[in-house]
Amino acid sequence: MITVKLEPDGKVIEMSDTRSVHAVLNKLQLRSTMAIVVRDGELLTPDRMLKNGDALMVRKVTSAG
Amino acid sequence: MKCIRCKAPAHVALPSHHSGFCKDCYPLFFTKQVETAIRREKMFTFDDRVLVALSGGKDSLALMLELHLQGYDVTGLHIDLGIPDSSEKARKKVENFCDLHGLTLEVFEMAKWGLPIPDVKAHVKRPVCAVCGKMKRHHFNRIAVEGGFDVLATGHNLDDEVARLFANTLRWDTAYLSDQGPVLPAAEGFVRKVKPLFRLSEFETANYAFMKGIEIHSDPCPYASGASFTGHKELWGELEHRSPGQKFQFYQSFLKTGKPAFAAMEKETGATLAPCAECGSPTSAETCSVCRIKAAVRESKAKDAG
Repeated sequence: MITVKLEPDGKVIEMSDTRSVHAVLNKLQLRSTMAIVVRDGELLTPDRMLKNGDALMVRKVTSAG
Repeated sequence: MKCIRCKAPAHVALPSHHSGFCKDCYPLFFTKQVETAIRREKMFTFDDRVLVALSGGKDSLALMLELHLQGYDVTGLHIDLGIPDSSEKARKKVENFCDLHGLTLEVFEMAKWGLPIPDVKAHVKRPVCAVCGKMKRHHFNRIAVEGGFDVLATGHNLDDEVARLFANTLRWDTAYLSDQGPVLPAAEGFVRKVKPLFRLSEFETANYAFMKGIEIHSDPCPYASGASFTGHKELWGELEHRSPGQKFQFYQSFLKTGKPAFAAMEKETGATLAPCAECGSPTSAETCSVCRIKAAVRESKAKDAG
């Protein structure tokens, strides 16, 4: 299970069978340049693999107003 | 993915540049893009006093920090819009950021000036975003001129510029298409305005802000829901995904080919400017639109009260 905290909304989502950052973005319907993805304080590229128990922060980059 | 410079594991992938960067090399890429923008567009020099408009978002704070790190003489300017809850949070982020980095900050309060944005929303029957933008530009320019600054810098990035260009093109708005660009030269009553982040996307700025540990104000403005720019950015995000680099190409081609044509057309038919009868700011009417809005709100409030 991967835990994803979405920003700026603050929502928390749990994902199973999700093995890469690319897959997380796909499930969130985000293109790779529409959000930054962080694990343990480090930015991740879409090709990075994930493991069970990982906690991610996904921050959408588009400013709205 | 490996860093294109040092071959360490990459932390940022940039499809439009066919490259990735690690955490040590990415800030160098960012710095180079800002340096290139300032040099090629002759935005300002190390002798100039630069006023940087700070909203509290990732772009303006990243710009302020980067210009400071490059050694420019920068002063921040934050406009407190007086929107309950939202404005206090944004202002706090800006103040904390400037304190942390030892940067000079000026704050202008719309409420003290007599026109907080909630009053505009309540009493002006026009889209509040357009009026708020007009107010902010008015005060940015006025404070820059009165403070003797050589240039006003804003954190507009490539996505902002492309969304604005797209909106102006949809309307074939000749006046706006004639002067949109990363540099708006100084004119009678107007300070020079520059956008040193125009070569960088929002994604690129967001990565930089995160790496530099910048605490940002990311709550959307409570009045901005349904803003057309957000929709335009989403459309362009999809185009960029299919053809990486298209945003930059669209904007650069406009600057090279489209803008000169619109500028020539506007020179023939454009309005001439004179000082506003009330505040002295340049305007094409006798009284500038900001003074007219202020008067309209005053009248509407008096009508409601009486």
